[in-house]
Amino acid sequence: MAQTGHAIQDRPESSHTPWRLLLGLLAEQKRGLIAGVIVGLGWAAAKVSIPRLIRNGIDRGIKGNEPLLKWSLIIGAVGVICGVFMALRRWYAFRESRRTEQHLRQRLFDHILRLHVGYHDHAQTGQLMSRASSDLQQLQAFVVMIPLTLSNLFQLVAILILLLTSDPLLALVALAPLPFVNVSARRFSTKIHPAVMAVQQRQAALATVVEETVSGVRVVKGFGAEAVQASKLDSEANRIRAVSLEAAKIRSRFLPAIDILPSIGLISVLALGGHRVLNGEMTVGQLIEFNSSVLLLIWPMRNIGMTLATGQRAAVALRRVQQVLSTTSAVVDPAEPQQLPRRADGMAVGAVRFRDVHFGYDAERPVLDGFDADIAAGSSVAIVGATGSGKSTVTRLLLRFYDVQSGAIQLDGMDLRELALRDVRHEIGVVFEDTLLFHDTVAANIAFADPDANQQRIEDAARLAGAHEFIEELPEGYTTLLGERGFSLSGGQRQRIAIARAILADPRVLVLDDATSAVDPSKEHEIREAMATVMRGRTTIVIAHRPGTIALADSVILLDGGRVAARGTHDQLLAENAAYREVLAALADADAVDVIEVPDAAELERRYINVPDDDAELSMHEPSGGV
Amino acid sequence: MRMMTAVAEEDRLDRDATKQVLRRSWQFARPFRRTIRVALLLVTIWTATTLAGPVLVSYGIDHGIAKDDGGVLNMAVAGYIAVTIAAYFIARLQFVYINRAGEGFLRDLRVRVFAHLQRQSLAFFDREKTGVLVSRMTADIESMAELIQWGLLQFVSAGLLVVMALALLFVLSWELTLLALVVFPIIVVASVKFQRESNAAYLQVRERVGVNLSALQEGISGVRVIQAFAREDEQSRRFRATNDSLMDGHMESVRVSMWYFALVEFCGIVAIAGMVGVGGWLVHRGSVSLGVVTAFVLLLGNLFEPVSQLSQLYNTVQSAGAALQKLYGILDTVPEVDEKKGAIDLPTRGELVVNDVAFEYVRGRSVLRDVTLTVGIGERLALVGPTGAGKSTLAKLMSRLYDPTSGSVAFGGVDLRDATLRSLRERVVVVPQEGFLFSGTIRDNLSIARPAATDDEITASLAAIGVLDHFLAFPMGLDTEVRERGSRLSAGERQLIALARAALVDPAVLVLDEATSNLDPGTEAEVEHAWESLMSHRTVIVVAHRLSTVRRADRIAVVDRGGLAELGSHDELVALGGKYAALSAAWERNQVASSPRRAT
Repeated sequence: MAQTGHAIQDRPESSHTPWRLLLGLLAEQKRGLIAGVIVGLGWAAAKVSIPRLIRNGIDRGIKGNEPLLKWSLIIGAVGVICGVFMALRRWYAFRESRRTEQHLRQRLFDHILRLHVGYHDHAQTGQLMSRASSDLQQLQAFVVMIPLTLSNLFQLVAILILLLTSDPLLALVALAPLPFVNVSARRFSTKIHPAVMAVQQRQAALATVVEETVSGVRVVKGFGAEAVQASKLDSEANRIRAVSLEAAKIRSRFLPAIDILPSIGLISVLALGGHRVLNGEMTVGQLIEFNSSVLLLIWPMRNIGMTLATGQRAAVALRRVQQVLSTTSAVVDPAEPQQLPRRADGMAVGAVRFRDVHFGYDAERPVLDGFDADIAAGSSVAIVGATGSGKSTVTRLLLRFYDVQSGAIQLDGMDLRELALRDVRHEIGVVFEDTLLFHDTVAANIAFADPDANQQRIEDAARLAGAHEFIEELPEGYTTLLGERGFSLSGGQRQRIAIARAILADPRVLVLDDATSAVDPSKEHEIREAMATVMRGRTTIVIAHRPGTIALADSVILLDGGRVAARGTHDQLLAENAAYREVLAALADADAVDVIEVPDAAELERRYINVPDDDAELSMHEPSGGV
Repeated sequence: MRMMTAVAEEDRLDRDATKQVLRRSWQFARPFRRTIRVALLLVTIWTATTLAGPVLVSYGIDHGIAKDDGGVLNMAVAGYIAVTIAAYFIARLQFVYINRAGEGFLRDLRVRVFAHLQRQSLAFFDREKTGVLVSRMTADIESMAELIQWGLLQFVSAGLLVVMALALLFVLSWELTLLALVVFPIIVVASVKFQRESNAAYLQVRERVGVNLSALQEGISGVRVIQAFAREDEQSRRFRATNDSLMDGHMESVRVSMWYFALVEFCGIVAIAGMVGVGGWLVHRGSVSLGVVTAFVLLLGNLFEPVSQLSQLYNTVQSAGAALQKLYGILDTVPEVDEKKGAIDLPTRGELVVNDVAFEYVRGRSVLRDVTLTVGIGERLALVGPTGAGKSTLAKLMSRLYDPTSGSVAFGGVDLRDATLRSLRERVVVVPQEGFLFSGTIRDNLSIARPAATDDEITASLAAIGVLDHFLAFPMGLDTEVRERGSRLSAGERQLIALARAALVDPAVLVLDEATSNLDPGTEAEVEHAWESLMSHRTVIVVAHRLSTVRRADRIAVVDRGGLAELGSHDELVALGGKYAALSAAWERNQVASSPRRAT
């Protein structure tokens, strides 16, 4: 049970390839994929028959005596089959690939959401975002090609057989250049990818210059430094041009070659086949059949080449996704969770006990080093300490974001690790330093801990937190949208909503973690009133550095060197303890404002969705719409 | 996979706007006109070569095979080889030319728009959102890059191909061309319809992708709160909703495209069927040759495909047009604070005189009015007042970051609006509240204030405010990258850099916006010392937030509700018993409450 809280349980790179994950995903989509492949094969078969039908139409209809209408109608009927099957193939291919993407994204999200906080401390949001967006797109781009690629392979084999049985030598000559189409398409795809990435990187560098100039415009204007920035931008713009022209060079090397390779086959057919017709060894219809067959195979060859390249990228993406999925949470429910003692009438609940707690985020540097504290049910305690003394760590351990390395934390006599995580977190309400509000209504933000809470409970919580009045004055009251793209509240208002959110579920313990730090000192008293109200009769742990807030608590614990250095009331310590006064003074100076910024949707899209779609370049030439 | 570009309906350019954007672009592309003309010529020739193949095959059949003439057949083959080789080199060349012109055009556009952006006044930057301005310079231009890299080539050659293929077919056989034209309108109509519907579907997908990503981002960055409130299941359910709706959006767009592409495929094959039937009948009648029918079978693809390509590229071209229009819009914005023609240099010394100044950000909403005051040479003036009263605005007017709506600000008898911007920035320097850092080394960050400064001058200016040793102690000295250390460069150190920048310029007037937040104890003393050295022997206007700063000023201007409420020394104003007296008393109390160390 005594897990180390600090280690990221990153399983070493699993030995099985990421393809196993893919196979599992595809198995879920089995039916649709099989249907897609079947209609794809039907489409391919119909399409393959066209050159032969043209040949027969010419030889037997135009040159021979068979009715023309018959061949015309047969070709028309094949056209209907081709159209319908192609539509169905597209439908299945896209549906199954999008589903694969969707299911995996959901799995990733669910997994990430439940990974222990220690993992998130080290993982970058941006990277996790790319796992669930651009990496999955790479995968989708591959899965969507499956039915088409199998159809293409079928076409290739079928035409090969048809032509070889018809005229082996001419078949070889006609089709000889086509494998090079495949090879070139694949090489192009692999080569252009890094070039496109390089362009994107330079574009990002230019964006940095623009971003810096716009957000640092006061410095730029203040010093008349426009010319300096202009020359930075100039050189970045030149670099973009240079790398873009590099990419253009790769395109100019491959794309025209891919375009003309089939012509070599067509020329051979005309030269060799033409003379055969002259010698009476084959018919005009056959010549045209060969000609159309070469044309028909151009796309299958390109597609197969592209699919191979897409597959390589999908494999890399899939490995990254699997790395996240194979990480297990270090903080999990016990096998047999215990129940907290029931709340009986009149009995105070929420006694918290820290027993010789040792903890550090990495093994060498302990943050808590024998922390011992008893917090009686219904009482309030302020934890005070210098920056980095581990005050906030106490909160995180109490929420079981991490497990203690040794010692124990008890809630109403029960070790936290014996309780279900859900119970622990329901019974401990926190107001964080950075009040992250979600893009939702005020009511939903307050009812965060219990989405089923009715309006009455929401309003009660808001009233207690001193938020009801200003919420009523918002344009839409409790249904006003907050967060990104929503109504923006002042720091103090946000804090009061956060307090309401913390007490809605009537937790046994309330933790106010630096709840006033993000608030303008002149508005601090508003929060303080709200805090005083909600603390009454409830076990409360206050992490604070402003004297006014600290004074709200019944007693103060001074934290130093990871253990309790002194305990008493604020006034006592202020009068008697020099270290306490030092710490308070230092904290007052470090008073800083932190704001979490959530970029807007357009910015997110720019960052995570703009994966280079270089295969699109190839498929733009394609007849009848690619996949 | 196709490019998924969509253009919002309100961004779509009408005929006049399109004309204007085109005309403007042609002007803008002046340096590349020759390259563009060559590229267009190459595309035209290249398009012709794609049509030459089938024609040569048909010629070989009719004049070689049908007439039993091996020589003609060989000539057709030789011609085909020649055309193919030519096509290859022309294709390579056209890539080079189009990209050279396109990337050059984009480079110029980037540089010009950015230069124009920088000429805009500070008020412009206050009004516009950072994100929007950045995306003009990035996303908008990048969307065009994609087009230039390959889309434009496709667009032009597809357009040419339709016209040329039609003309060629007509010459070969007008009867068969009429037959092909029965199918052609179906494709055109379907393409137009597809273009509209797919655009709408893509817009919807794009919006849902945004919502989905926001939910993802909210979940990941809010994971601590979510876990703290045991909200994982609910959050997962919500994410599923956005995920499902994105899936529906994708399928909607597939529904639009699947039948369209099926139709294109079907029409291509039906046209072949028609050629075999009707063409065969015409061959029997002797009005067309078998070679011509062959040519039609091989060429019809060249008629239908381009139409479908055009419809797919249309949205991309439209969105590039919309982006260009927005960019030209920026180029057309007239800078509010700009250098006058025939501007003169400011004198090296002088009084700063604010004369009956009024200012409004937005017409009719006054921020400041009736402000008149004179700051003497070497005088130190503190501006105090509640948040939003207009004291920062006044400081900005005194340094011509804004121009007054009425009244004037003059230095040494010269109206700031008549002065050259260069001399203005040399005489009057604004030190912003927070030391903003640009990526680069510490030295880069200092020399931004005076790019011509030598290393010695930079060292001297650091020494002048007593912070040279502090920065030399960094691992790479002044060549330490600030961004790599970025998070470790403390607020105090950043402030020191801001002060050193000002010292490097050595201005006559300093305008300071004092930081509201406290600094780390380690550098606070140093910053304070640097401030003092910087301010001595200069005229100083400081937007003050601390009592200690106000105390050290010669005079204090109390700005309240957009006007100058009180003006005088500390003692005078305390004696006056007005707003300043009250403010000063409140300050004293607060100091004692929040900082026991200072109180003792």
